[in-house]
Amino acid sequence: MAQTAQFNGSVTTLRGLATRPLTLALAAIAAMLIVGELLSPGFAAPSQIISQLTIAALLGIVAAGQNLVILGGREGIDLSVGGMISLGALVAGNVMQAENAAIPLALAVTLAVTFTLGLANGFGVTIMRIPPLVMTLGMYGVIQGALVVLTRGIPSGRAAPLLNDFVTNPVLLGIPGILFVWVMIGIGMTVFLRRTAFGLKIFAIGTNEEAAALAGISVRRTRVILFGLSGMFAGLTGFLVLGYTGNVFVGVGDQYILPSIIAVVIGGTSLAGGTGGYIGTMAGAVVLVLLQSILTTLNIDPSGRQIVFGATLLGLMLLYGRQRKLRM
Amino acid sequence: MTILRARNIRKRFGGVVALEQGDLALGAGEVHVLIGSNGCGKSTLCKIIGGSVAPDGGSLELSSEPVRFRTPHAAAAAGIGVFYQELSLIPQLTVAENIFLGREPRTAYGLVDRKRLRSDAETAIRPFGAVVGQGFGPDVLVSDLSADQRQIVEILKVLSENSRIVIFDEATASLDSKQVAVFFDLIRSLKAEDHAIIFISHRMDEVFAIGDRVTVMRNGRTVVSVAIAETTQDEIVAHMVGGAYIAAADRKEAPAPLTGTAVLAARNLVGRKLADVSFSLQRGEILGLGGLHGQGQSDLLRSLFGAESLAGGSVFLDGKPLLLRKPSDAIANGIAYISGDRSRYGVLPIRSIFENLVIGLVSKQRPVGLNYGALVKRIAPVAERLKLKFPSFAAPVSDLSGGNQQKVVIGRWLAVAPAVLLLDDPTKGIDLQTKHDLYVILRELCAEGVSIILYSSEDKELLGNADRILVFNGGRIVRELEGERMGEFELYQAAYAAS
Repeated sequence: MAQTAQFNGSVTTLRGLATRPLTLALAAIAAMLIVGELLSPGFAAPSQIISQLTIAALLGIVAAGQNLVILGGREGIDLSVGGMISLGALVAGNVMQAENAAIPLALAVTLAVTFTLGLANGFGVTIMRIPPLVMTLGMYGVIQGALVVLTRGIPSGRAAPLLNDFVTNPVLLGIPGILFVWVMIGIGMTVFLRRTAFGLKIFAIGTNEEAAALAGISVRRTRVILFGLSGMFAGLTGFLVLGYTGNVFVGVGDQYILPSIIAVVIGGTSLAGGTGGYIGTMAGAVVLVLLQSILTTLNIDPSGRQIVFGATLLGLMLLYGRQRKLRM
Repeated sequence: MTILRARNIRKRFGGVVALEQGDLALGAGEVHVLIGSNGCGKSTLCKIIGGSVAPDGGSLELSSEPVRFRTPHAAAAAGIGVFYQELSLIPQLTVAENIFLGREPRTAYGLVDRKRLRSDAETAIRPFGAVVGQGFGPDVLVSDLSADQRQIVEILKVLSENSRIVIFDEATASLDSKQVAVFFDLIRSLKAEDHAIIFISHRMDEVFAIGDRVTVMRNGRTVVSVAIAETTQDEIVAHMVGGAYIAAADRKEAPAPLTGTAVLAARNLVGRKLADVSFSLQRGEILGLGGLHGQGQSDLLRSLFGAESLAGGSVFLDGKPLLLRKPSDAIANGIAYISGDRSRYGVLPIRSIFENLVIGLVSKQRPVGLNYGALVKRIAPVAERLKLKFPSFAAPVSDLSGGNQQKVVIGRWLAVAPAVLLLDDPTKGIDLQTKHDLYVILRELCAEGVSIILYSSEDKELLGNADRILVFNGGRIVRELEGERMGEFELYQAAYAAS
């Protein structure tokens, strides 16, 4: 009985941990805004906040896919998102070639291509039983190599003016369109995870795959779809990155790989899968963008930022690492 | 001459008493059979003698000297070799390397003498040469061997230690009759050299073929020790069961009325651990699966649920052939499966009680919105029927006690309202009150027309609930017990009979 009591006790703290990350992230956001404002007046001005959120939206959207793959458990992770973003941006830019009329077609082609490659990740992981880390890293290498060959390293494709406006300029109430897209994705993801049968299946395979299979869930199909969705979200991010920067070069997506994982972890999703959600991930994306901004304000160079980011991930892992022990 | 004497050995694991009074007197040049049902304490006693488990009390004497082994190594040094039921071989090493692991012949420079290792292994293998089958040799990797070949390697490994006392814990489980004959010849030559052997087996014919003396254990106690020549199979079974066994006539519940319609029928099922299993399940019946643990009962249930594949045979539901490739095929046809191993096959840890209860209902639903109100309406009566005690549907399932967690898993399937319920040792490790609640519910379900197949590792649970019992041995149904022939004695007799 003592054992049971102890187990229950740690679960209570686990529940505490699971609800706390969001609170912590929000507190971190407030703290960083204050610190940023003190370091450099104007840091917390509305226009600044909106431009920070725009950058956070790009990270947040790719992290949505990362979030799904991680929730699905069994060491789920998608390192190919960097390549998918670059690919999405290049495909979109080359299809639209600065033509407003070609935007819908460009979006459709981009999403279709990245969704398909994401499914390939999923097949590799489920049917071929390749560990997700290896499979998606391999996919990243293949995409990246192919892009270098195809573009010969020269920036290629151009954004249509309308897309550019949508991402960077205010469309309504002084807020750019990308933020409306992000909020809609936030609502969509939350409803998807909490209120649909598919969402429940994701949590089920993430916590206990064998029990989920015995409950009648097609574990493989579910996981393949998760990887497909991750590819698609990365493709959408690439599409929006094109709008943000106007034109793109190979490797534009690389900077999103590690942050997309950290944002998910900051948001309280367990890397072991099965527990977490997207609202936390959105907050995590904002935290990371603000952190990066403050580091820039402090004149810390990119390599220094990499160190801070990597250390943040490892620190969070130490903090949340206890979760894994509680399983089974 | 008594070489080893164990007196009054006691051992508890947590709150469970594994051994209350283990006594054993082993003579030199003797094959001493240790027998008893699952959980009677014989394996624990052997582990204590072999030094891998420390006793809580009692004494152990080796050649009249008191001894206490703190590690298996200490026991080995004192001349005790143990064949472990859970094989101790290293798959990535060869047969020769495994046989002499840790005792490899050395060259003058202290390196492994591979030539001698090989020739020593060849000598050791020779007796089994004709019966070991293809693809066996000193240089073959253990990972490439079949189950019986691995068991032979384990036997050779123990024999090569040349211990004064050798313990064989179910060493013949995977061997065929020719291999067993060779093994017994080796045991006889050990005996001739005055070694002492403790032999555990569930096969009654082997007990009589090789044993000199038998010690029967029941509920952690040594019951009796007699010479094989002075006893009979029925006498041994009677000792294993004990005086207060459930006789066929003592069963209180009347058998459920059978309507005579077969709901589920299986014809000649063959699988990994199933050999030609045929039976039919009547509507409103509880069909018990009995026998020793691991004789194919769980495999049958998992196969009927599509969780394990069948190599042959056919399953009929209401007379129509049923293709079972995955669990959802079974679920779609109203078949549900509940395992007693809830942490592995049942609960979704961390997730809420609500999610754990509805996952069976929604697993086949299209990825559209969930109607929470409708789902709660489905599961609330189930929770009430199961007398489930829980703070709220939103609480994590891990907050519940083991018994209540199992109720959640059961509730998941009651919510689906299955026509056939497959229960795979469903009350393993749960409290008496929960067990009793479950038994009552099983009877109610039968009255509602649900048909149940129940496998239990507890014979009393089986006898108390089943209308009929199919006794399994080696993947086959060896006997069907029904009516006044269905008592504990008959069940033991069938389970321990020669396969």
